[in-house]
Amino acid sequence: MQADTTDSVRLAQVQGSLLTARRSMARWRRLFDDARMLPVLLIMPVLIFFLVWNVIPTLWMIGLSFYKYQITMPNTFAFVGLENYVDIFSDRSVWNGLSRTFIWVFVGVAVQTLLGMILGFLFWGSRDMPGRRIGLTLLFTPMIVTPVAAGLFFRLIYEPTFGIVNWFTKSVFGAEIQFLQDTSIAFWSVLLVDIWMWTPFMILMTLAALGSVPKAELEAAEIDRLNWFDRLRYIILPHGKFILMLGILLRTIDSFKTLDLVYLMAVPGNTTKLIATVLREQAFEALEVGWSSSLAIILLLTAIAFTSIYLYILNLNSRAREKVS
Amino acid sequence: MTRRKGWRKTAYHVFLWVIVLIFFAPVLWIILAAFKTTDGILSVPPQFVFTPTLDNFVDLTMRQNVGRYFVNSIVMTVSSVSIALVVSFLAAYAFSRFKPPGTSFLMFMLLSIRMVPAVAVVVPVSLLYAALQWKDTYFGMIMFYAMFSIPFSVWILKGFIDGVSERYDETALVNGGSRWHIIFRVILPQVAPGLVAAFIFNMIFVWNEFLFSLILGGRDTTTIPVSFSTDLYSDGGVDWAFIASMSTAYMLPPILAILFFQKYLLIGMTFGTVRGEV
Repeated sequence: MQADTTDSVRLAQVQGSLLTARRSMARWRRLFDDARMLPVLLIMPVLIFFLVWNVIPTLWMIGLSFYKYQITMPNTFAFVGLENYVDIFSDRSVWNGLSRTFIWVFVGVAVQTLLGMILGFLFWGSRDMPGRRIGLTLLFTPMIVTPVAAGLFFRLIYEPTFGIVNWFTKSVFGAEIQFLQDTSIAFWSVLLVDIWMWTPFMILMTLAALGSVPKAELEAAEIDRLNWFDRLRYIILPHGKFILMLGILLRTIDSFKTLDLVYLMAVPGNTTKLIATVLREQAFEALEVGWSSSLAIILLLTAIAFTSIYLYILNLNSRAREKVS
Repeated sequence: MTRRKGWRKTAYHVFLWVIVLIFFAPVLWIILAAFKTTDGILSVPPQFVFTPTLDNFVDLTMRQNVGRYFVNSIVMTVSSVSIALVVSFLAAYAFSRFKPPGTSFLMFMLLSIRMVPAVAVVVPVSLLYAALQWKDTYFGMIMFYAMFSIPFSVWILKGFIDGVSERYDETALVNGGSRWHIIFRVILPQVAPGLVAAFIFNMIFVWNEFLFSLILGGRDTTTIPVSFSTDLYSDGGVDWAFIASMSTAYMLPPILAILFFQKYLLIGMTFGTVRGEV
C-alpha cells in the first residue's frame, strides 16, 4: 500500500514534468508554425554565420585598408586614406602578379577546355568500353587529389636527378631538363600540373553537356546523314552550350584563385608568383595588414564582378528553359 | 555512333584506356612509391618492378603526430560539413518556399564567397580570430569550415527543394501536418540526393583544404594537408617515403567517395546547376 502511493506520487511527478516538457515543446512548435516567424527562424543560423564570419571581418578589413598598419611595428599605425590603394596601383609586384595570373588563367583554361572537349567527345562514344566506370573514376582522380599532394608529387616527378620524367628525357634525348629550377620554364612546368589536374573537369563538363542533348534530335541527324561538323554546330552546341560555358567560367574563377599549388611547388625566384601569392606574402610574411587589406578588397570586387557574370549566365539558362516549357 | 568493325572498336577502347592511364600515371607513381624503400623511390633508373614493402606505413603509424593529424582532419571534416548541411537545409527551405525579401541578394552574396580568392577571405578572418583568440581551436576551425561549406550547400539544396512541388507542402498543411513535419518528413527524404551531393563535395573540399588550415590552425589543429608542409624534411632532405605513404593513405577517402558517388560529382562542382549523370 505504502509503496503504491509513493509510486503513484512519482508517476504523477513524472507525468507533470512530461507535461511541462510537452508544453515548452508545443510553445517552440507554435513559434515554428507561426507563418511570420518561421522563415526568420530558418534563415537565422545562416545569417549568424554570415554575419560573424563574413560581414564583420570584411567591414573590419575595409576599415583597415585605409590605415597604415604593420603588425610588428604597431607605432606606425596611422590613417592614410587611399594611400594603400594608390600604392597598389603603382606597385610592380602587383602588376607582375596580375599579368602572370592573366597568362596563367588564359593559357590554362584554353588548353583545358580544348583538350577536355576533344577527350570528352572521345569518351562520349564509349558506352560499351570495358571497365568504363573504373576508367572514369581513375580519369577524375587528378581533380580530387589535393593541390598540396599534387604539388609535392610533381616535385618528385620533375626532380632532375631522381625524377622519372628526367630519367626518360635523359635516356631518350640525352638531355636533363631543370623543370622547376630553370626560371624560363618553371612557370610552364607548374601550369602543366594545373592542366593535368583540371582537364578531367572539362572532360566531365563536356560529357554532361553531351548528355543534355536530346536523343531524338541526334537520331534525326543520324537519319538525315548530317556530317559531324553540322551535327556539332546545329544540334550539340545549341543544347550543350550552357554547360560548357559554365565549365569554362568555373575554371576561370578557380584558376584566378590558384595558390596552394604554386606555394607547394616552391619554385625559386619570382617567375611563378601569382596575385594570390603576392597577397599571401604581404599579409602573412611581411604582415602588412593595411596594404594587404586593400589588395584583398580589390580582389573581392573582382570576384563579385565574376559572380555577376556567372549569375547572368545562370539566369540566361533558366529563361531559356522557361521559353521551352 | 556509327557502326565500327571489331578491331577498330578495340583500338578505340585501348586508346581511351591509354588516355585514362596518362592522367592516372602521376597518382599511380606515388602510390607505387609508398610501397618502395627510400632508396627504391630515389633509384636511377626508376624501379617499375620491385618487391613491395609495408615499412613506410609501419613507419607512418610510429610517427608521433600522424594519428593526431588524421583525427584532426576527420573530426573537422565531418563536424563542419554536418553543421553546414543542417543550417543550409533549413535556410534553403525558407529561401525556396517563403522567398523572403532579399533572397536573391543573399543568394548572390553567398555565391560570391565561393568566388573570392581564399587568401582574400582569410585576411580579415585571421584578424578576427587573433582578436578573439580563436586561432588554433577546434571551434574556430570547424565554424570557419562550416561557413565556407554553407554557400555550396544552400545553392545545391535550394535547387533540389525548388524541384519538389509545393503541392506536397500544401497537402501536408491541409491534412494538419506541422511545418516541422513537412520539413523533416516530407521534404527531407525527397532531397536526399542533394544532401549526399553536398556532403560529398564539401567533404572533399574540407579534406583537401590547405591555406585556411595553415593560417588559422596551429599545433593543436594541424590537418593532414598542412602536415605535408610541416613534416616535409627529415635528415636534411625531403622525406619522400613519408610523403608517398602519407598521401596514399590520405587520398583513399576522396577516391572511394568518387568511385561510389560519381554521379554526384558534377552536382557539387557546378552548384547543382548541372545534374547530368556520366
